[in-house]
Amino acid sequence: MPQPLTSKESSLFRQVIRNYEDKQYKKGIKAAEQILKKNPKHGDTLAMKALIINSQGKTDEAFALAKVALQCDMKSHVCWHVYGLLYRAGKNFEEAIKAYKFALKLEPDSQQIQRDLALLQIQMRDYQGYLTSRKAMLTSRSHIRQSWTALAVAYHLMGDLSEAESVLTTYEETLKNPPAKTDLENSEAVMYKNSVIAEQGDIQKALDHLESAGKHNLDRLALLELRAKYLLQLERKEEAAEAYRALIDRNSEYKLYYDGLTTALGLKLTDHKERKDIYDGYAEKFPRCDAARRLPLDFLEGDEFREAAAQYICRMMDKGVPSTFANLKHLYADDSKKETLRAIVQKYIDRRKSDSSEETQTNGDASKGIPAALYFLAQHYNYYLSRDLDKALEYIDRAIELEPKSVDFHMTRARIWKHYGDLQKASDTMEQARALDTRDRHINTKSAKYQLRNNQGEAALKTVGMFTRAETAGGPLADLHDMQCMWFLTEDGQSYARQGKYGLALKRFTTIYNIFDVWQEDQFDFHSFSLRKGQIRAYVEMMRWEDHLREHPFFSRAALSAIDVYIKLHDKPLVNGMNGVGEAGGDDAAERKKAAKKARKEAQKAEREAHAKKNEPNKLKDADGEAKKQDDDPEGAKLAATTEPMNDAMKFVTPLLQFSPRSIEAQIAGFEVYIRRKKYLLALKCLLAASALDKEHSQVHGQVIRFKLAIDQDREALAPKTAEIIKSEFTLLPASTNLTLYNDEYLARHADCARRTVSALKIRRLLSPDKATSCQEDTAKVINLPSITMEEAKETLELLRSWNSSVTDSFRSQAAAKWPRATVFTASS
Amino acid sequence: MAETQPPNIVEGATTGDIDDEIPVAAKSAEDRKAAAALSSLDTPRDDDTTVTKDVDREAVRKAMDRLAGAGAANAAAAKKGDDKQAPKKVIKVDQADVTLLVDELELSKIKATELLKAHDGNVTSALKVYITPPETTTAT
Repeated sequence: MPQPLTSKESSLFRQVIRNYEDKQYKKGIKAAEQILKKNPKHGDTLAMKALIINSQGKTDEAFALAKVALQCDMKSHVCWHVYGLLYRAGKNFEEAIKAYKFALKLEPDSQQIQRDLALLQIQMRDYQGYLTSRKAMLTSRSHIRQSWTALAVAYHLMGDLSEAESVLTTYEETLKNPPAKTDLENSEAVMYKNSVIAEQGDIQKALDHLESAGKHNLDRLALLELRAKYLLQLERKEEAAEAYRALIDRNSEYKLYYDGLTTALGLKLTDHKERKDIYDGYAEKFPRCDAARRLPLDFLEGDEFREAAAQYICRMMDKGVPSTFANLKHLYADDSKKETLRAIVQKYIDRRKSDSSEETQTNGDASKGIPAALYFLAQHYNYYLSRDLDKALEYIDRAIELEPKSVDFHMTRARIWKHYGDLQKASDTMEQARALDTRDRHINTKSAKYQLRNNQGEAALKTVGMFTRAETAGGPLADLHDMQCMWFLTEDGQSYARQGKYGLALKRFTTIYNIFDVWQEDQFDFHSFSLRKGQIRAYVEMMRWEDHLREHPFFSRAALSAIDVYIKLHDKPLVNGMNGVGEAGGDDAAERKKAAKKARKEAQKAEREAHAKKNEPNKLKDADGEAKKQDDDPEGAKLAATTEPMNDAMKFVTPLLQFSPRSIEAQIAGFEVYIRRKKYLLALKCLLAASALDKEHSQVHGQVIRFKLAIDQDREALAPKTAEIIKSEFTLLPASTNLTLYNDEYLARHADCARRTVSALKIRRLLSPDKATSCQEDTAKVINLPSITMEEAKETLELLRSWNSSVTDSFRSQAAAKWPRATVFTASS
Repeated sequence: MAETQPPNIVEGATTGDIDDEIPVAAKSAEDRKAAAALSSLDTPRDDDTTVTKDVDREAVRKAMDRLAGAGAANAAAAKKGDDKQAPKKVIKVDQADVTLLVDELELSKIKATELLKAHDGNVTSALKVYITPPETTTAT
C-alpha cells in the first residue's frame, strides 16, 4: 500500500537516504524517527532505518525491523529492496535474489534493483538469470557500450561464444564514426572480441580481425603476442618466426618467445646445434641477457652441455650471482648433468685458487668467485637429489669464513641443519642470519617460519611482529589475519597440531578456510567495476580463476591438516575438551587432571571476557574507527570441543575432493572421514580414485583391507542396493581373498620400503591381534632397511608410541644413532 | 528464460491493490526522486551518463529490434524444441531411490533427482557412475 508523506516529511526521507549514503548513521536514525513520530507505520522509513541499523552492526535488530516494515507496506519495492540488501550483507545470496526479484516485480523500471539483482546472479553463477537481467538492462540503456559488452560477457560465460561475438558486432555497427585510437575502452573491447573469436577456434578469422580492427590497438604487447601465436597455429612459419624475433627484441628473457621461435623455424628437439646457434646469436646481441645463455642447458647433452654450462657458470660465479644454483637445479633431474655441474664448479674453485696466488689479487673477480662457488656446492650437497649434509656443512662454513656477513650463506646453513633434523639449531641459525639484515622482510619471514617449525610460536610471532602494522588493535596476530598472511597461519596451525593443541590448530585452519571465502566474496565488486573500466579480458580471466579458487595448494594444505586433526579428535577425544596436551606427557593421570582443570578455568575466563566485550560492542575500535567483530572463540576451544568431528571435517573434505580430485592425499583423507561416518559408497569412491592414482601406495593398501573388513562387519546394516553396488564395484579385492595372505604378499613385494612395510605390519596387527608383539618387533626392524628416510623413521616412531610398544625406546635410540643430529629422536627427559 | 512482463502487471495478489498503485505513479514526482536516491545506495557513481556522441541512435534502435526479434525467435524455437522433447523427458524417478542417493552420496535432493534422471531413473547405474573415478589421463 502506498503511504504518502507530507512534503516536509518527504524531504526528511530524502535526508535519511543521504545520511545513509554519507554514513552519518546517527543523523539518519534521528531523521527517520522524526518521520516515524507522525507516521509510525511508514514502511519505507522503517526499512531505511533497518538498513542503517544493520550498517551499525546490529544485524538481528535490523532484520526484525525490516520485517515490520514489510508488514506495514507489503507492496513497497523499497522495503523489499532493503530486505534484499540485508540478506546480501549477511551473504545469504539466494534469499537476497528472491527479495530483489520481488522488488523488481513491484518496480520493474528500477535500474538499481535490476542491477543489484544482476550482480548477485553472476556472483551465484546463475548464468541464465544473469542473461535475462542483462537483456533487460540493455533494453533500458541501449546507448551505452557497457550494456552491450555486459550482455556479450553473459553469453560468453554461459559458453555461447558465437552469440557473444554477434552482440559485440551489433554494437560496433551502431557506431557512426570509428572510435578514437586513444579510446581505451574501445581498445580493450576489440581485444576482448578477438579473444572470443579465437576461443571459437577460428584462428584465421581471429588473425584477420587482429590485423584489421586490432592493428593500432593500445595493448601493443598482447597484439604482438597474439599475432605470433596465431601465425604459428596457422603454420605460417616464416611470418611467425619474424613475429617471435620481434618479441625477443622487446624482451629477451622470456622463455616462451624462444620456444615459439624455435618451433616456427621448424627445429626438432634433437637439432641441438641449430637451436644453440639461435640462442648464441641472442646472447651476443644482448650481452646482459641471461635466458639466451641458460635455456640451451635444458636441451644440450654430453660435451656440448659441459662446454655451455662451464661458460654459464664461470660468468655467474665471476659476478657472484647468488641465485645460480636456483637457476640450475631443475637440471638435476638428469643424473649426468648433476655430476657435470658439480665438477665444473669444483674445477672453477681450483682454477681460481691458483689464479689468485699467481696474480696476487689484482683480479677483483676472485673475491666474489670463490665464495659464490663454495655457496653453490653447499647448495648442491644440500639438495635432495644430491644430498650429503656433512659436505654441505663443510662448504657453507668455508664460504662463511670468506664472507661472514652474507645473509644468503647463513640461510643455507640453517637449511642444512633443518635437513639434519636439528630444528633447534636450524631455527637459531636462521635467527642469526636475520640479525645480519634486520630490515629484510624475506629473511625475517624465513626466521619466523623456522621458529614455527621448531614449535616456538611466541618467538615467531615476535619476529614477524617487526614487520606488521604497529597500530593494529590485537597485535601482530590480528594484523596477520587482516593481511591474510596464509603461510604464517598454516605453519602456526601445523605447529599447534604437532603440540596437540588442537583447538588453536583448528582455529588457524578455519581461518584459512574463511580467507578463501573472502576471496570468493571479493569478486563481487568486480562484476561492476571491471565493466565500468572496460577491462573485460581481465574480468573473464578472473571469473574463471575464481571458479577454481580452492585448487590452490594453500587450501589443500590447510584442509588436509584440519582433516587430520579432526580424525585424531574422533579417534581419541580430548579428555578435557580443550587445547589439552594431546599425547606428549599423557601418561600421568594427575597431570592430566590438572591440565583439564586449568583448561576449564581458562574456558570460563574466555567466555566471561567474550561476554563482557559483547556487552560493550563499541568499545573495541581499531584505528579506522570501525567497530571490529568480536571473536568469541579466540582459542578455538569450541572447535576442539566438537562432539561430531567427522561432520565438522566435511567442511574441508567436500571442497578438497571437488577441487583436488587428482591429489592422492585428498582421496586418502576423504576415505578416512567417510569410513568413520560409515558412508561406504563415498569411501569407496575415494578408494577407487586413490587406487587409480597409485595402487601400491602404502595407505591405499591398508585402506583396501580396512574397507573390506568394515563392509563385512556392517553387511547387515547396508541398504540392499548399496551392498549390490559395493559387490560389483569393489573389485580391488575379490570376495574370496584371504586377507592375511593378501597382506603378506604385499609385504613381501615391498620388503625394502619402510613405509609400505610398516603399513602392511599395521594391517597384520589389525587382522591377527594375537601377533601384536611380533608385529611391533618387526615394525621396529625397519630401521635396518638401507632405504629408510628420516621422515619414515619419524612416522614409525609415532606409530610405535601410539601402540605404547615396549620396543619404542630401542627404536628411538637406533634412530638417534642413525641420525645423531635429529632432535625428534633425542631421548625426552 | 522468463519473458519480460508488461510493467503494469504485477504477479501475485493484485486485485484491489491495482487501483491504489496508479495514483502513486502519477503523483509521486517526489517519491520518484527519493526512490532514485535510494536506488543509488551502495553504488559507486557511474560515469555512464556520458553518452558517446558517436552512437547512432537510429542504428541502436534497429539493433535492439533485431536483438529482440532474434531473442523472441530463439525463445519460440526453444519452446518448440521443448514441446518435442517433452514427452521423452518424462522419466519416472522413484522417491526411494532419491532418498538412497541423498543418504549414501550426500547430495541435495535436487541434485540426486538430476543424477537419477540422467541415468533414466536407474539407481544402480547412477551410483556406479558416480563412484567411478573419471578416466585417468596421463596429463596432470
